[in-house]
Amino acid sequence: MPSADVAVIGAGLAGLLTAVRLAENGARVVVLSEGNGALHWAGGPIDLGFRPGARSAAAVVGQLARRRAHPYAVLGADVAPALDWFQRLATDLGLPHAGSLSGGFGALPTAIGGIRPVSIVPEAQAPTLQPWAPGERLVIAGHAGYKDFWPRAVASSLARPEVWGGFSRPDQVVGVAIDWPGLRERRNLNALRIAEHFDDPDWRAAALDITARAVASTGSGPVRVGLPAVLGLRDHARVLEDAIQRFGTPVIELPLVPPGIPGIRLHDVLRAKLRALGGRILIGERIARVEATNGTVTAVATEAATRDLTTRVGALVLATGGIAGGGLVGDPDGAIREVVLGLPADGPPIQRWLHGDPLDPASLPIAAAGIRTDDALRPVDPLRPAEGPLFENVRVVGSLLAGQQWMVDRSGDGVALASAWRAAASLEATAAPATRSSRGAEAVR
Amino acid sequence: MTLARSAAVPTLDPGIAWDALVIGGGATGAGLLRDLARRGMRTLLVDRSDLGTGTSGRYHGLLHSGGRYVARDRDAARECIVENRIVRRIASFAVEDTGGYFVATPDDPDDYVDAFPALCAASDVDCEEVDVREVLRRNPTLNPRIRRAFAVPDAAVEPWALIEGNVADAAALGSMALPYHRVVGFDRSGERLLAARVVDIRSGTEYRVMAGQMVSAAGAWGGQVAAMAGAKLTMAPGKGTMLVFNQRMTDAVINRCHMASDGDIMVPVGTVAILGTTDIHVADPDHWQITRAEVDELLDEGEKLFPKLRRMRLLRAYGGVRPLYDPSETGTESREVTRAHVVLDHAPRDGISNLTSIVGGKLTTYRLMAQDTADAVARKAGVTDRATTAQEPVPDPHGDRKGRYHWLGGRLAAHEADGGGDAALLCECELVTRSQLEEVLDRRWPCSLDDVRRLTRLGMGPCQGGFCTFRAAGAVADHAARTTSDPVAIGDMTEQAMADFLRERQRGTQPIAHGRQLQEAVMTAGFHWGTLGLGSLVGTSPGSNAQR
Repeated sequence: MPSADVAVIGAGLAGLLTAVRLAENGARVVVLSEGNGALHWAGGPIDLGFRPGARSAAAVVGQLARRRAHPYAVLGADVAPALDWFQRLATDLGLPHAGSLSGGFGALPTAIGGIRPVSIVPEAQAPTLQPWAPGERLVIAGHAGYKDFWPRAVASSLARPEVWGGFSRPDQVVGVAIDWPGLRERRNLNALRIAEHFDDPDWRAAALDITARAVASTGSGPVRVGLPAVLGLRDHARVLEDAIQRFGTPVIELPLVPPGIPGIRLHDVLRAKLRALGGRILIGERIARVEATNGTVTAVATEAATRDLTTRVGALVLATGGIAGGGLVGDPDGAIREVVLGLPADGPPIQRWLHGDPLDPASLPIAAAGIRTDDALRPVDPLRPAEGPLFENVRVVGSLLAGQQWMVDRSGDGVALASAWRAAASLEATAAPATRSSRGAEAVR
Repeated sequence: MTLARSAAVPTLDPGIAWDALVIGGGATGAGLLRDLARRGMRTLLVDRSDLGTGTSGRYHGLLHSGGRYVARDRDAARECIVENRIVRRIASFAVEDTGGYFVATPDDPDDYVDAFPALCAASDVDCEEVDVREVLRRNPTLNPRIRRAFAVPDAAVEPWALIEGNVADAAALGSMALPYHRVVGFDRSGERLLAARVVDIRSGTEYRVMAGQMVSAAGAWGGQVAAMAGAKLTMAPGKGTMLVFNQRMTDAVINRCHMASDGDIMVPVGTVAILGTTDIHVADPDHWQITRAEVDELLDEGEKLFPKLRRMRLLRAYGGVRPLYDPSETGTESREVTRAHVVLDHAPRDGISNLTSIVGGKLTTYRLMAQDTADAVARKAGVTDRATTAQEPVPDPHGDRKGRYHWLGGRLAAHEADGGGDAALLCECELVTRSQLEEVLDRRWPCSLDDVRRLTRLGMGPCQGGFCTFRAAGAVADHAARTTSDPVAIGDMTEQAMADFLRERQRGTQPIAHGRQLQEAVMTAGFHWGTLGLGSLVGTSPGSNAQR
């Protein structure tokens, strides 16, 4: 029977980071995930927390940490070391992220002509952390027939100063629609297809050339070029370098409706890193059963073609996400069900799941539903937290943790980072003797 | 998809004296416009919103066979079957010939079931008992304990195509329909209404529309229109709530074989199936809510037909307000109020010689309602031409059908013919292409994305606008750029289109969301507010009405 020191359920940011962190420290890790994970929806920035008027993410983290219900109440102090580790890791993996916890916010324009506040961003969005110089323009350029990026709509919207809130903004925003080579007849393009085209050096050279000429035709003077976030999937660093060189200007990748290429890039390199560290990752695995005795999980079984595949495990990390990720299901009778262990969840009553004006992000109180934990991220009963953890060797990470209004406070990625950091540290501390002694042996326990 | 009507939205020439003015652009108003036009009366129709946004666009989509009314209201049943046959003949493009069954579940009383075939026969409703095993075989999600089944000629009918076709027929004869023109009052001299004061909602311009005859086809809003003319009319609006499922769990209309009640009809419409309905009296047709409790009651009843209903994916709930009229005008309980229509002549009632109201009725009998009203209006106007609407076909505004009736596969076939996988699909759920969207914008500009939806089904699938809203808004920006070069104006227009459509679509999810659709709603909101920074764009002021 296969075995692992730790099984991580879920391959989003929190799951992959927990797995990599554990594997870095020598644990034998397997990641089991039903789908590809929420990074496939992500647009690039790492959100640690935001509130209008805040000076830095650090200030918001501190503020959220004082709210008892927010995961930062437990994890606040881990955000800084976790972020530090993440930025070093991402740099090693060829996807450096700019920004810092105390460095303040910039405004990243998006494919719907809005902006989102950012503090930590991949390199292709790093120019947004620098204030705009007087007279500096933003040119929005994209392929004319691409349905998820309409340069005129984006530029027109961004031409309105109020969209930028109080952030530094360009003096002028211009949109140009270009025909990228060979795409005209492929009208049903998605971001993935175009990103793969950019990985091809010849196609890339031609596309960048056309784009550079179109940008130049809009006028002279200092400019930044905003493109849809499709600048390569596997060879992104080189694509970005080529683009900056060809345009002679800073380049900004604008987040798109899913699939999110920047998120997929991060997913791919984290996955490769985990494998390089000896970890395993299995996608398409639905958890059929978890075996536990006396509050200790001993094995997980996943659905396989002819029988359930059972893996003996020393510990289990739940990184299955909240309602959006599928780690929680809202039943028609109002129950909020945790799908792997049937843990008791904390969340609003059904009448308030979705409530109020849909154009207010606070109209989704259900998004804050999740699992309550102790300081080691072990699950507890939200009604009887004092009775201690429900499972000794289970940890809960990421958006499955209760109390995050992530659409409002933008703390989702910070919670993912800090909880991965904390869960890994806590498992190492508690399981170290057993894990280390058993390494190399046939099975854990 | 080809569109017969190529002209842009017409504009109002205030110099024209119309033979008649119809207020209300639902199916009845559109049918009336056509009927009067065919009698040689040059008629203008106005609606405060887009056509088909009131009750006609908010019902369950059923073209009744009449079977539902055979026990309670034999006349209504008879009208239904007669009009069912006529609509199938004159407007087959809007009809999907699904057929229907009345099925006897264990909850339905034996005596009603036993009497049903004879009741149908008495109202001339075609009804044939069929092998229940065959019905269950074809509809495997039906309750296996159903013991008898009767086939009837129920069908699904698409209201917006029907309305468009009626308007197109009238337009060819010099009549005209104007959406987004609201009647705000009348000029009256003695017993006569001289003109209606009409405001173009989008420009704010007020016009005086002179017309010999004024006709209110405002349905549930009829009381408000009558009041503006100084007449008194008390409607008994009854709210019906419907639930939209993500799949057609049946390809035929399924009715419970019992005395008509709540949650006992399932209608396959387009790519979805709709469970109807409730009936709750409301004081104001513009202000009402759909509650979780109401949704639960509907599901409880629906499970008697489809036991696994709660495990099927629900997309949204919506409601419509029936234009019910209680001749006693006391304004009470609505399931008991007759579904029959009544033509009210306001001359004897209120001393207004040239005002007529049509109240009550249902979409299936829209043509008959229009004919009865037009008879009265023509008589007052001294016009002797007879109705021809039962014989002459309504022009088909879309043309996506195979054979006689609307065909569900038509959209896909057209898409494949138009380049298949390479055609730019803006709405992947409902197969709406960029060219279809642009065509509607050309024809109807300025218009909202909700108007586009009614003509294309944009945003009516599982994502409920989560993805396609932004694509459609992109096309709106390109379109707006034809009328202005001011980027701020374009940005504002685009944002408005986006915000209105998102709000309208997502509101429908709130009272039903659970399981997958709840996940979809949260996931979608996640990338809207998170990834895309929607919060920097839209205001958070609440809309005027919870469900409209």
